[in-house]
Amino acid sequence: MKTGTRNRTVRVVLLGNPNTGKSTVFNRLTGLRQHIANYPGVTVDKKVGAIEVGGTQFEVVDLPGCYSLAAASPDERVVLDVLDGRIGGSPPDVIVCVVDATNLRRNLFLVTQAAELGVPMVVALNQWDGARRAGLKIDTALLEERLGVAVIPMCAKKGEGIAELKRAIKACHEDHRYVPRASWPEFLVEARDGLLAALEKDGVSLTPVEALRMMFDADSALAATVRNKELLRAELGKARGILRSHGLNPATAEAGLQYRHLDALLLGVVERDPSVPRSRDTIDEIVLHRFWGTLIFVGVMYLVFQSLYAWAGPFMDLIEMATAGFQEWVGPWFAGTPMLQSLIVDGALAGVGGVIVFLPQILILFLFIALLEDSGYLARAAFLMDKQLGWCGLNGKSFVPMLSGFACAIPAVMAARSLEDPKARITTVFLTPFMSCSARLPVYVLFIGAFVEPTYGPIVAGWTLFAMHFVGAAVALPIGWFLNRVILKIQAQPFILEMPPYRVPTLRNVVIRMWERGREFVVRAGTVILAFSIIIWALLYFPRPEEVADSVRTKYIASQNLSAAEVEEALADPESEFALKLDHQIAGAYIEQSYLGRFGKWVQPVFAPAGFDWKITIGLLSSFPAREVIIATMGIIYNLGADVTEESEDLRSILAHEKWSDGPLQGQPVFTLPVVFALMVFFALCMQCGATVAVVAKELGWKWAVGSFATMTTLAWLAAVLVYQVGSRWM
Amino acid sequence: MKLSEARPGITYEVMGIESGCLRAGRLSSLGFLPGCEVRIVHVAPLGDPVAVEMAGQEISVRLTEAKLVEVREVG
Repeated sequence: MKTGTRNRTVRVVLLGNPNTGKSTVFNRLTGLRQHIANYPGVTVDKKVGAIEVGGTQFEVVDLPGCYSLAAASPDERVVLDVLDGRIGGSPPDVIVCVVDATNLRRNLFLVTQAAELGVPMVVALNQWDGARRAGLKIDTALLEERLGVAVIPMCAKKGEGIAELKRAIKACHEDHRYVPRASWPEFLVEARDGLLAALEKDGVSLTPVEALRMMFDADSALAATVRNKELLRAELGKARGILRSHGLNPATAEAGLQYRHLDALLLGVVERDPSVPRSRDTIDEIVLHRFWGTLIFVGVMYLVFQSLYAWAGPFMDLIEMATAGFQEWVGPWFAGTPMLQSLIVDGALAGVGGVIVFLPQILILFLFIALLEDSGYLARAAFLMDKQLGWCGLNGKSFVPMLSGFACAIPAVMAARSLEDPKARITTVFLTPFMSCSARLPVYVLFIGAFVEPTYGPIVAGWTLFAMHFVGAAVALPIGWFLNRVILKIQAQPFILEMPPYRVPTLRNVVIRMWERGREFVVRAGTVILAFSIIIWALLYFPRPEEVADSVRTKYIASQNLSAAEVEEALADPESEFALKLDHQIAGAYIEQSYLGRFGKWVQPVFAPAGFDWKITIGLLSSFPAREVIIATMGIIYNLGADVTEESEDLRSILAHEKWSDGPLQGQPVFTLPVVFALMVFFALCMQCGATVAVVAKELGWKWAVGSFATMTTLAWLAAVLVYQVGSRWM
Repeated sequence: MKLSEARPGITYEVMGIESGCLRAGRLSSLGFLPGCEVRIVHVAPLGDPVAVEMAGQEISVRLTEAKLVEVREVG
């Protein structure tokens, strides 16, 4: 309910090109009083913060960076939709246009586009110090006079000009100063109004700005607002025809007219001292060099990967230890109610631990991404790598997410948001989980250590481990190609990338970036991961009839040839070998008859063509929330308890001696080399990671998450069957 | 000639941009317009994309985009 305009929160939006320091301005304005929300139906972050200036409350929204209001995708349309009130109900009260003082002309192009909206505006002239260093002298008084709005020189990185900007926002809200609209040629206004009127007649009401955009922009995403496509095509044809008949190319007409206007506007405003050299030229001679540039790129990427893979390790171990410690500490509180105890310890606490354990990798990756992006290197890296990745629908910006996927798909999928092109972003998110993440490593180590190394020796084992890491990538890239050519019917965006000047990243921005991503993961994906964890816990726990434990106990005691007194004595100490073995056997019996165990036996025929028995099948199914869980599940199934690791000699030897208990292969070993390879290939390709599913759903929606899960599982099955069938005929 | 055929280090003048597509709009909004001067300053290791200097900024474009820009050598 509105309580009069005086107490209403005033809505301010930050608009600006990428690489202008717009986010720095936002962070400086709002500090940590900001949060991320979602725009409906798109994957663009809505960053909202609150400020107070002289008793007035302002809500500040940081719009996605853009060079133009032209929108070819729903994501890009967000900016225009916010500006003209399609999102939010009404246009914002004030637009703050953040412009880069070192590239004023191009930055002001967006200002001229925004001027069409007739919303009060303030121009924040950021990178003021950079402009001075580059030998640029800008007459702000003259610029202010020509634009008709306040122009605030600032250096957001150092916090200079923020107070002035706040005052200017308040003043602008009070005195409503606009940048005047362009004086379009008469025929252009006629064409626009004709389009507006024709669509109005069909029941589509557009704003004049939207009509202009549809007329100028080929493939405008605004077309989605008009149901009658035929009418739209005809009317657009008519309007563009008018432009053409006056010698204007519709695609470049706006830029042509506006830049001419800007050249007049900037006359005498910017002066450049020609004696100051441009520093990036010399840096880029090396950084973009065919040989040295590639070398630097490999070095930087090695550093990123190494830190994800190695530096995160100790923190992850610490979190796992803390989780285990917490579980041990909390467990006894519920000793009277085993079901509740298991739910809390094995379901909830394990689930929470399973969420937090990803934080080190997420924080480290976003530390690097913030550093790479803010310094300007990410654009150079994308430039160097674009051609190598372009053929399968990715672009140069896909490299960092894909590489990070070799450590962990979760931060990697989150990192794919830096791709503006929806098609390349979808492809990147889709392919990243195929990369061999560190959670697959224990599975490879277990099976290679147990089967490949004893047969073929350590050298072959080493090469096998190495080769396993590329199975996913080798399958993924052709899939990307196929996805792009055949399935994804979204138009590819041109890969036009600005090489921003090199800049020193600020600690403040880096920390805020890490904090945002970490919090977002915990809040958004964490809840889903926790839910997965509890569901799988329940499927492995229930039903749990006492008789199962009783009959195992009776059989076990009978098999030990001990007197009743000896049994009692052995059982009195729960840490005795006798008692532990009994516990492991009971756990094994329970998992076999759990819902998941029964399901595993029931679907085993599906996995039989890959050579998997029901025990492997249960292991596979239980590892869908997190693939590394298979080791613990196998420990339980083979009566060794859950505390086994991939290095356990017990587990390796029991696997080596495991034989088929029934069926055509009765008496023969279960784990032959074809089975082992089929199993490893299955793990290489399958998306057995609830957290990845949750993050993909967060980035692309549940449809894509389910699609990606189904694709990977199907491929994993096909490949496993192929490996087993071919392998068992050859070996 | 097309910008995609231009030699690095040489300054060219943009004569026109092929009309009617998304790419043309994108390029023009960055300032690729008839009359402006462009110069290829860097070439990626595999020859594509290229970094073009134009009006004090550096923009990386793929050859597929560079093909849309008609240029003339100015020496």
